[in-house]
Amino acid sequence: MFNHVLLCTHGTDGAKRAEAFIFGKLEANPELKVTVLTVLDEDWRQMTGDDWLNSSKTQTTFLDHVENQMDEEIAEDWQRIKTSHPVAERATFLQKTGNIAETITTTAKDLGCDLIVLGPWCKSKKFSIHSTRVGLKATLKNKELHPLLPCPLLIVS
Amino acid sequence: MSKVQEQMPTLIMGAGLIIYGLIAKSGALLSMTKVLHTHKTLDLQVTMTLVLGCIAIAGALLNTTRKSGATNLDTFVLRPLGGIILILVMAMAIRWYAEPVMKLISKALQPTLGFKIYKVLNLNYVVLGILSGVLLTNTWGIPKFAAEGVKCARFVLKMGVIMLGARYSFAELAKLGVYSVFLVGFFVLGTVFLVLWLGNLFKQPKTMTGVLAAGMGVCGVSATVAVAPVVKAKSAEMAYTIGTILSFGIICMFVFPTIGKLAGMSPVQFGAWAGTGILNSAQVAAAALAFNAVDIETLKVAEIFNITRVLFLPVIVLVLATWFGKETGQKLSFKSVVIDKFPVFIIGFLLLFFMSSMGLFSPPSHYKGKYIDVSYNDRSQVTPEEWEVLNSAMTAGEFSGLTETQLEAVTNLVEQRQIAGNYEDRSNKKAFDHVGRARMTQLQGILAAAKAKQVKLSGDVKAAIKHAVKQVKKKSKTVVTLTDFMIWFFAFGLIGLGMQITKKAITQAGGWPIVMGVISGITKATLSFFVVLWLVKDVVLN
Repeated sequence: MFNHVLLCTHGTDGAKRAEAFIFGKLEANPELKVTVLTVLDEDWRQMTGDDWLNSSKTQTTFLDHVENQMDEEIAEDWQRIKTSHPVAERATFLQKTGNIAETITTTAKDLGCDLIVLGPWCKSKKFSIHSTRVGLKATLKNKELHPLLPCPLLIVS
Repeated sequence: MSKVQEQMPTLIMGAGLIIYGLIAKSGALLSMTKVLHTHKTLDLQVTMTLVLGCIAIAGALLNTTRKSGATNLDTFVLRPLGGIILILVMAMAIRWYAEPVMKLISKALQPTLGFKIYKVLNLNYVVLGILSGVLLTNTWGIPKFAAEGVKCARFVLKMGVIMLGARYSFAELAKLGVYSVFLVGFFVLGTVFLVLWLGNLFKQPKTMTGVLAAGMGVCGVSATVAVAPVVKAKSAEMAYTIGTILSFGIICMFVFPTIGKLAGMSPVQFGAWAGTGILNSAQVAAAALAFNAVDIETLKVAEIFNITRVLFLPVIVLVLATWFGKETGQKLSFKSVVIDKFPVFIIGFLLLFFMSSMGLFSPPSHYKGKYIDVSYNDRSQVTPEEWEVLNSAMTAGEFSGLTETQLEAVTNLVEQRQIAGNYEDRSNKKAFDHVGRARMTQLQGILAAAKAKQVKLSGDVKAAIKHAVKQVKKKSKTVVTLTDFMIWFFAFGLIGLGMQITKKAITQAGGWPIVMGVISGITKATLSFFVVLWLVKDVVLN
């Protein structure tokens, strides 16, 4: 029914469920085209908060470190996906930086995807001691994502 | 979007400023500003709004007609202009309207609430400025036209600290320097080692404890930003640490001044405590100005502690780099760890200090570099607490033993909140100055009479009068001008920094960083509070 699926993941438990579902479908339907998208949240630029003491060089070094670190973490996550789902070797992996809702929808539009797949919205555990989730805590908001959607959206719960 | 549309907000702000300036010049705002107690700043309001309005319109027109390039004029003036004007408009609105209105509301609510909100929450122009910045960025967001200008806040705040350098004497710097090196040295290193120990105790990764130790120990987010690449912190560790530090710092900014006032701390003690216990250095400046926004004594002390702390940053980076390198075999050059992290603006601060100490800003005619200035200036005023002491003493008839001229001087001090000439004579500088100086002489006479036990005054009343006299003994005009600019630079910088505190960054607080951060932060704040009360005595500040 669908030809090109955009699977958005950032390694959370919910995203892993979406991965399992889509790669299951890919095994059943070898014709299906899957693009795995990981978005580096542009809000990382705001994480220097109210730092005013450091020179622009130190701040650039910090932002470069964040970018390199995220690249490494994303590469590790992609490796995890490939190890857990060998069929993922047939998928295309893509990393982009920007506003998450805008980047997902723009990418889907540019690639001509006919389905966007996400994991379920996680309940925010703002003060949990044991959980330090990957990346930033902020989650996608329906009211931001839905008006921009160029194709159907599937939430795998 | 056309260039005219892009520049429209700046043009509108410019036109608004000019219209406001003209209305203020016509005298139409006099009665309203008298209610707000800001009428003495009307001349300044007219000058600032007209000058800024003209600059905004000229800059916006230039931006509309000129092709934007990579020249210094484009980078440092024309592109940031919209944001700079926006922050200045906010700063003026807060200083001349929001803060006075807050005081009036607070006073009106006092009978119902039993306390003054203004005093309890320290809602002066500095705190209101940061809050308005935070509010703007987390509701509508920073407008596109202002994005470049908001980035100037960091530079402007550094300029404020550099200008502050002109306000220290050798004796002050030596005395405060000794206090700060010992206190900051002990608490910075102590907190760094406490967090490293907690990390070991809770079996947390070294990358996380390293970055949290720097943030909690030295200077908050700035230290985290400097150390994260050195200890190779992971993304979640950085996010959680920065969120924890920002949240803790914002709470401290409100809580510290209230505790300081309840504990009866002197400006020197509070400056020392804030400079040691508050994490982010911008919040140290904000808390110091929140504790005492009338004059800059607290800020002077807090900034010395701040600067000492910042000077420790390269040392801590070196310590953590060595500690981390031992584990990983990673080697870093001395240049990349220490030289690159050295805060260059401190050289500017020291330069101004030396220039001021050498007497470059004070003509020889000024006795010991000081002179009497009875003109209207916010910093010449007595503090709100002192004003209340004087007002209550006046109502209670405590000044009944004074002569008629002495009583007139005290009455006028209560009315004007500072030693000054008659408001109606302010355009006749000679007459204004003469009356103001005569009132100062009368007040000095009251203090002498009280000392000789000819009149009986309470200690608080004597202290308030003494402070009023001290407030009009200014340093040279250059130093006063530098200080005036400095106050606006701080207001500008702190509003701009407020705009960079996002809800997203604050709500990152969590995980083990918040547990370890709260333990170490509260320990540092509590211990430094008692040590400062025990150790730091008053330093005579000019």
